[in-house]
Amino acid sequence: MEAIHLEATKRTPGIAFDFDANRFAISGESYPEDVNKFFAPLVQNLEQHMERLEGATVSFRFDLIYFNSTTAKILMGLFETLDRCAAAGNQVNITWAYAADDSNMQELGEEFSEDLEHARFDMMKKE
Amino acid sequence: MSRNTSRNMLPAIREALLREGAITCYQGYLTEELLHALAQTLRTALALEESPANESRTLFTLFVEQAQNIVRYSAASLSGCIDGELHELRQGMLLFGRREGRPYLACGNAVARPDAARLEASLARLHSLDAPALKMLHKQILKEGPPPGSKGAGVGFIDIARLASGGFDFQFLDMDENHVFFVLTACF
Repeated sequence: MEAIHLEATKRTPGIAFDFDANRFAISGESYPEDVNKFFAPLVQNLEQHMERLEGATVSFRFDLIYFNSTTAKILMGLFETLDRCAAAGNQVNITWAYAADDSNMQELGEEFSEDLEHARFDMMKKE
Repeated sequence: MSRNTSRNMLPAIREALLREGAITCYQGYLTEELLHALAQTLRTALALEESPANESRTLFTLFVEQAQNIVRYSAASLSGCIDGELHELRQGMLLFGRREGRPYLACGNAVARPDAARLEASLARLHSLDAPALKMLHKQILKEGPPPGSKGAGVGFIDIARLASGGFDFQFLDMDENHVFFVLTACF
């Protein structure tokens, strides 16, 4: 699948989805005018790709500064997709990066990670 | 209205706002573009005031959730086609200020009477929950999907309840036979 690279804007996150290398990253701010319109094609491509993986090593990095409550629902879905991919026998490594002084973003990451059963999850504090 | 009263209106409004410790107040039609510009302005102002980073981020989050509620749900709206394109403007109020140094954010908008009862019940429920219960409910709704009538993830109010470290309160005031004015204040 063709890689997806979207530059971050003030309202939409930067997207770096490299399907061939199984490296994925979402960064920046997310409160798009229409959250579903922005994320639907991304999520769809990702889910199709993940379903086909066998014995792969996947890395997914979240490096977010701010996201609104509608985006939180999308992120919850991504975590579920990643955990399913890991349950199917792939090695899935999730990294949640947050600014050292952002306890709120740290807590949000911890909350998302609580339901993971198969994927590996690491918090990354950025000084 | 006589020329005199219109000339004296703004100072009176300003005084009332200053008594409330208001820093920013908006009343009128709110759009996504305006929400974004106002939120960025708030962020810049907080940075210039050298507010603690965590506080600034939380206020920004609260502000966006409150403003989005107006843009999505306010019952005072104006809509129609201009050059074949549908436009919809929804009206509301946003207020950011500090009382004794403690920041607060308030939003107000019209809601249809039948919606007000539902809204009041769900806010009263959130008001009675402690932090762990709010967290559980937040997760549950994100997973199970939004309640009927929601245009987002259905967790905006839960986010507000969780982030308002100084508490939150709400009021419903009679407007006319079909509408009530809904006010939500989040303190930090």
